[in-house]
Amino acid sequence: MISNLFNATTIPVLEQVVNFAQMRHQVLAGNIANLDTPGYRTRDLSTDAFQDSLRRALETRDEQTASFAPPDAALNPFAPVKAGLEGILRHDDDNVGLEQQLMEIAKNEMRHNLALTIMNNQLQLIGAAISERA
Amino acid sequence: MLSALDVSTSALVAQQVRLSAIANNIANLSTTHDETGAVRPYQPRYPIFETDEAVHGPYGTSGVKVASVKIADVEPRWKYQPTHPDAAKEGPHAGYVPYPNIDLMSEFTDALETTRAYEANLGVIDVTKEMVQQTLRILV
Amino acid sequence: MSAVNSIQASPLTQPRVLSGANGPGASGESSFKSFLLDSIGQVNSMQQDANRAVEQLATGGEVSPAEVFTAVQKADLAFHMMMQVRNKLVQAYQDVQNIRV
Repeated sequence: MISNLFNATTIPVLEQVVNFAQMRHQVLAGNIANLDTPGYRTRDLSTDAFQDSLRRALETRDEQTASFAPPDAALNPFAPVKAGLEGILRHDDDNVGLEQQLMEIAKNEMRHNLALTIMNNQLQLIGAAISERA
Repeated sequence: MLSALDVSTSALVAQQVRLSAIANNIANLSTTHDETGAVRPYQPRYPIFETDEAVHGPYGTSGVKVASVKIADVEPRWKYQPTHPDAAKEGPHAGYVPYPNIDLMSEFTDALETTRAYEANLGVIDVTKEMVQQTLRILV
Repeated sequence: MSAVNSIQASPLTQPRVLSGANGPGASGESSFKSFLLDSIGQVNSMQQDANRAVEQLATGGEVSPAEVFTAVQKADLAFHMMMQVRNKLVQAYQDVQNIRV
């Protein structure tokens, strides 16, 4: 019952988005650090692949809730999203420039903060409902 | 997430070494003696960057380190100064003094590139700090 | 996009519903109860719309962050208003209970 409380909101989705943004930030930071290393190929975590994986997890979750079956805790629909991050590391064929990298870092940061803000809002909403104090 | 700080810091350290090497090269533009006092022009030093697996984040991203500082071996720049005590006495360069063959323009360009990379890594550190602070706000 | 736009047309945002005098009062018995249940349903559907908008944003849909934030904030405010209504009702019930017969 308690885990259903959170599954009904967007909190698990946003958690995955924040996690992905943090992982991607670390990969991009490694690119900036190795700017002048000869022979280095830039890497990135593919946003499209992550969003596809998230979409599939959402469909699984919607099927689970639609069938009214009590969700099995071991079948967290979002677990494959996190586990699948390993497989979407991409090496670029020709090295992406510094400005491009910095722009990707900035965009990534904005997505991260956006998801965190909404997640905080949702958590506060649940807190307000629990404490019965609007 | 905090390993991104390690990775960016390793880049800062490496770029700092590179800047020192460049400053060294520019300072020794006219050095005709080496450390032992023999007549040998200063050879420019170039740090070699290498990906450092010891400083790493997830998915194989790693930092950078200075693997070694290579001492170049280029032909000196000969300048005709027959009265200079270091002028060659005989041979094809008689009367010429060997000066280091350091191109000021390319050293300055390297310095600009180093500064750019240094600032880029500082920017990434700022973004990392900002993201971690935002994440802390989940608990507040 | 259309799911988000439907929030604009929600009757909860129009003052007609709240003016009570000729509205639900004139249409017969248990009108307040149906009004209340209706409003709760609207709050719930606004929450669902906001959730859809957030999920679309997370999976790379064409919804812009401004729309998502607006939808979330509207659902938030609707929920808080419903919360206040609920608190007032509970308080009114307790007041009635305390009337000495």
